Amino acid sequence: MRKNRTLIFFFMAPTVLCLLLMYVYPVCRTVLMSFFRVESLTASTDTWTFNGVDNYIKIFHNASFKTSMSNMMLIWLVGGVITLSISMLMAVILTSGIRGKKFFRAAIYLPNIISAVALATMWVQYIFNYDYGLLNQLVTLLGFDKIRWLGTDGKLWAMLAAFTFGSVGYYMLIYISGIEGIPRDMYEAATLDGASKPAQFFQITLPLLKGIIKTSITFWSINAATFFLWSKMFSPVQTEGSTVVPVIYLYDTVFGGKGVIERDAGAGAAVGVVLAVIIVAVYFVMNRLLKEEDLEY
Amino acid sequence: MKKLLALLLALTMVFALAACGGGNAPAATQAPAAEVPAEAPAEEPAAGPVTINFWSMWNDGEPQATVIAEAAEAYEAATGNTVNIEWKGRDINTLLSSSLEAGEAIDIFEDDFNRIGQVYAPYTYDLTDMAAAAGYKGYDCFNNQAIAWAGYLNSITEQPQVGGVFYNKDCFAAAGIEAEPTTWAEFLDVCAKLKDAGIAPLAQDGAYTNFTFYYHLVRYLGEDGIAELRDNGGWAANEKAVQAAQDIIDLRNAGYLADGAPDEYPSSQNKLGTGEAAMVVCANYVTAEVNAAMGEVNWGLFNYPAVDGGAEPTAAYAGANSLAISSYSEHPQEAFDFIMFLVTGEYDQKMADTAAQIPADPSNTAPAALTGTVETLLSADKPMTWCGSLNTHAAWGDMKTLFTELFEGKYATGADFCAAMDALY
Repeated sequence: MRKNRTLIFFFMAPTVLCLLLMYVYPVCRTVLMSFFRVESLTASTDTWTFNGVDNYIKIFHNASFKTSMSNMMLIWLVGGVITLSISMLMAVILTSGIRGKKFFRAAIYLPNIISAVALATMWVQYIFNYDYGLLNQLVTLLGFDKIRWLGTDGKLWAMLAAFTFGSVGYYMLIYISGIEGIPRDMYEAATLDGASKPAQFFQITLPLLKGIIKTSITFWSINAATFFLWSKMFSPVQTEGSTVVPVIYLYDTVFGGKGVIERDAGAGAAVGVVLAVIIVAVYFVMNRLLKEEDLEY
Repeated sequence: MKKLLALLLALTMVFALAACGGGNAPAATQAPAAEVPAEAPAEEPAAGPVTINFWSMWNDGEPQATVIAEAAEAYEAATGNTVNIEWKGRDINTLLSSSLEAGEAIDIFEDDFNRIGQVYAPYTYDLTDMAAAAGYKGYDCFNNQAIAWAGYLNSITEQPQVGGVFYNKDCFAAAGIEAEPTTWAEFLDVCAKLKDAGIAPLAQDGAYTNFTFYYHLVRYLGEDGIAELRDNGGWAANEKAVQAAQDIIDLRNAGYLADGAPDEYPSSQNKLGTGEAAMVVCANYVTAEVNAAMGEVNWGLFNYPAVDGGAEPTAAYAGANSLAISSYSEHPQEAFDFIMFLVTGEYDQKMADTAAQIPADPSNTAPAALTGTVETLLSADKPMTWCGSLNTHAAWGDMKTLFTELFEGKYATGADFCAAMDALY
């Protein structure tokens, strides 16, 4: 069939235009803005003052930004290991032919269909509550003193536990779809050869899920880098050091916080660029570490 | 035919997209708002009914929103003008700058008077003449501050706030306390009596540890003294800062904080509603929050106690949500008239009663829970800020964590705490 270039152009034009306007332009403007002193996010470019890399120097010398990066790394690493491991475990169990698979799958996925705001409120105001919370009821039942779960030492971990609880179902579904794509005869052959279940998992399931694992790590990295709502819910009145993450820092830098009127959209843009670079870096590292082999099955 | 159809489809999509994005076009054609002089002369009275666009910081259904909507209806009935209210919610500050810069159709907007005075000032109308013509007085502490920031009166106080020690009068009565404490020593006596009566003296949520400790620091150092520490450090070398921290440590060690404090907001402050705790350091909205969550409390208020040898014995926190008119408003007089409708007389009283707030009109009456707040504000020259001498520090986030840790009992002495503060520099 003869290609009609004009027709292709006209069909592609709206999409390309949208992409340029709504994605490429903001990205370019943000990168550019990160090198300028800009107070307001939408300030006209003629009010921008060239700042070199001062915005980057400023944020990397800022104690709150460093704390936020440290929190983000903990969320990414600790939360990632826990969430992805539990998700994988659940996926393997649910694809092993156990009874009630549909029920358990729905039950584990359930937190994903509940509003994150409602979920976080339940964790903060009920489960972690000092006076009548579920955890402290259990603790006192066992004869121990009540614990301040949301104290400065434990708040990040409490938040992470709650977030992990809500995330497991999502990644579990991704793994289930991957595992169900692996032909059963491979497992049958392995069973006939005397391979144990753990051996089948490490020798068949894991290698064939490399692509899925890579995707889920990338998704998790994006989740960790753009972590915002849960941090807001665990620090509802004003940003707290124990739960601050880069996007919260960015938000406060660009818009100011409680009682804080100082704004710096240029520094906020620099934070955005740093986060984007981190996500891209993680993606490339994952690509290098988890090379997909072209397997046909 | 196919080509023609494809072309038509493509063009339709392009025009549809253009139409979708066209909403802001008129704004773009307006002169940049910042270039519009704030002292623009009052417009000629409009020939016929006009529409006033009002961006509110409340959400539809909230008590404040209900009163504003009622006032708008009454204003519309009285003048024939229309008030078009958009409920933007608490995060209105994330929208206002961009919208004002873009010349969005906003006549009146509502936000923290700090931001109106400092951030949005280039886009605010000079209300001096209209206020004088209307005989508007309000509270000097807010008016003077707005003029100091913007160079002219650029906002009208709508919902004033005042800080201090809010307490449950029934708890005081149960503990046999008759007089409100005015000094730290008297405050500790009150705490001891409350504790003996089985009532936790002070509720403290983690979200407000910075406010409580800042208040205490202000008593010792004043806001200027705190600003010096912010800029130059030297907390451990400052005896007053060390003593301020030591006071909090002693308060905690004496068992004067409510069980679990510093707790997760609003768990600790709600204990005033159950009578488990007697006092909380906060702004007046704590009364409405606790009443809404726990039922009516018999509230009392006293100023944060003075300390021996302190630099600032009486300053009280005062803040406000205020109303401003955009510098490019086409109907500033009508907008101002509506603001007056809202912040004086019947609807201001209704706002105070419905939302349990301090009236914006000092001639109105504060709800019983806020008795004395109007007088406090009227006598205040310069309001104490919300941690204003510290919250611009680069490590403010980490400072807040240290303040919470101070209440958690992580530091053995005030000197240890101050050394930790110095380590942030």
